[in-house]
Amino acid sequence: MVQFAFLDWFWIILFLIIMVSCGFLFYRMGKRSESDFFLAGRGLPWWLPASSVYATHTATDTPMWVTGVIYKYGLSGLWYTFFSGWCAISAFVSTRIFRRSLAYTQAEWQSLRFGGLGSELLRGWVAGWQVFMNMFILGWVSIAMGKVCHYAFNWPNWIGLILFSSICSIYVLAAGYWGVVMADFQQGFIALAVIVIASIWGIVAIGGPSEIIHKLNSMGETWRLNPFHFTGFLKGDFPFLWFFTMLFIAILGGLGMGTSIDWYTESQRIQSSKTVKDASYSIWAGTALVLVRNAIWAAAILAFFVTFPNIVSVKDYELGWFRLSFESLPVGMVGFFFAAILAIHLSTISTQLNLGALYATRDIYHHYINPEASEKRLVWVGRISTLIILLGSFLYGLMMENITEWLIFALWIMAAGVWLPNILQVIWWRFNSWGYLSSWIASLGFSWLIVWILPEFGVIPDLPDYLQFWSLLILGCLVFIPVTFLTKPENMDHLVKYYVMSRPIGWWKPVRKEAEKRGLI
Amino acid sequence: MSLIKRKWTAKEAEEWTKEDLIACIISPLAYITLMLGVVFSFLLLWYGFVILLAGIALTLLLYFVINPKLSKISTEYEKKQKEYLENLEKIVKWEDMK
Repeated sequence: MVQFAFLDWFWIILFLIIMVSCGFLFYRMGKRSESDFFLAGRGLPWWLPASSVYATHTATDTPMWVTGVIYKYGLSGLWYTFFSGWCAISAFVSTRIFRRSLAYTQAEWQSLRFGGLGSELLRGWVAGWQVFMNMFILGWVSIAMGKVCHYAFNWPNWIGLILFSSICSIYVLAAGYWGVVMADFQQGFIALAVIVIASIWGIVAIGGPSEIIHKLNSMGETWRLNPFHFTGFLKGDFPFLWFFTMLFIAILGGLGMGTSIDWYTESQRIQSSKTVKDASYSIWAGTALVLVRNAIWAAAILAFFVTFPNIVSVKDYELGWFRLSFESLPVGMVGFFFAAILAIHLSTISTQLNLGALYATRDIYHHYINPEASEKRLVWVGRISTLIILLGSFLYGLMMENITEWLIFALWIMAAGVWLPNILQVIWWRFNSWGYLSSWIASLGFSWLIVWILPEFGVIPDLPDYLQFWSLLILGCLVFIPVTFLTKPENMDHLVKYYVMSRPIGWWKPVRKEAEKRGLI
Repeated sequence: MSLIKRKWTAKEAEEWTKEDLIACIISPLAYITLMLGVVFSFLLLWYGFVILLAGIALTLLLYFVINPKLSKISTEYEKKQKEYLENLEKIVKWEDMK
């Protein structure tokens, strides 16, 4: 349990007041229309969505996740966190294409890219999936906060889980995305400042960088300083094939939409940007900050490792960065540090609440239930959806135990079978809605089979995660490729309209020729 | 003809060109060098500062290569955005279904 002085509580309460006041300051802007409540009227300069990308992807569970992999693998663990590198190519390919489509959501994009019944099924499927996923993400982020509060105050996990998400929902309910993005800007600034200060403080407290290196040398653990320390091609904890798989997924994934779970969050930031250029720069810069932040954490976690080198339990060393900071910062700064933890927590919670509500409102209510709804009604539906997603997240949060295991499963194993279709839908005109839909259904089934069910019954051995990825990718191909060729291509009129508006990259020659023939380009 | 095109017409900017490819190659390299440069710099290792400087240089190069083209695409696209948004609202209200 951490001791808090008056000054510590002062920082925490001041921070909460500032954040909640965002909801009141931007209340009028958020309630103007559906576009304002969910996309801030599509008028943001690049640095605002960029700060939101950074703040959103700095969640309470993120330092645990980064600590987990760096403590275990040394600096090689940085590659585990490099999945956000998909934005390197996405910023200049799929971001540009998606921004030009103007779709509010990825689900809406499906109905622009594909046509007919298949596109409607996909829109409903992706929307429903995203409502579920946002509750799920909120659950795992909130339970991480529960664990931090348990460590800091000895509260039961459920108090930390519910309390701060509920406070956050005040400004999300009031001002929608305006509140989210404006609070994110402040939260991102506070979080980055505190991550730098707390990490340097922790490093200095154990004797400085030279002491870290000296201790690693004397412990015979120098390999931890090498980010390319492979344990073989296929064998060991960090084989080359795993590294190759991660780079392959992260970098080429930027050609597609939805290749990373973060795409869905980023797509909202892309559409809230003022121009195509602002969208590209926001995604690139926000992700660059995420990677720099991971690097700062990595240095601090090495300091934690040399101080506490023999922790075996994942649950214990996952809290390493928090422990290093809580135990080394002076009185008064501890409260400021906790305010920063709240900042990183609230920025993620607010984003996922608004994003889940966006899919529920735009794709389910507005499109399927009440297409003629007024702007006022849509904003209210957005608020009610936000509340329902918040309550759902409490249930999921209470069901989760081991954060790292769930993150690996949800981040890429569960999406492995749709990784290639997510790219094909962007770059190949012939890929149709039935092919894409079949890949989703196959992926969900195969991922549970390969990761959980078959190993449990001893049918296959427990595969390392990179082999699970390749297995799921190949199994998925066996389903969606035949389905695509056995069903008709999309309607040419629909494809031409999409092509002229979005100008996708890749194999679009027949559609381009048709557009030229019609004098549209 | 220069290696990197800096002046674009609207029609040229709409196409996918070698500048996009160059940006897609530089961009991940910039990310990797920034990330590794920062962690080694925090550990006060000399090569960390060298890698970090390389990362910053790559970022500036990326901007130099892609900014003129992105600016042109953005300017042209904004002229058509209103019409596209109206079409989007028709789709959500089932008025534009075929």
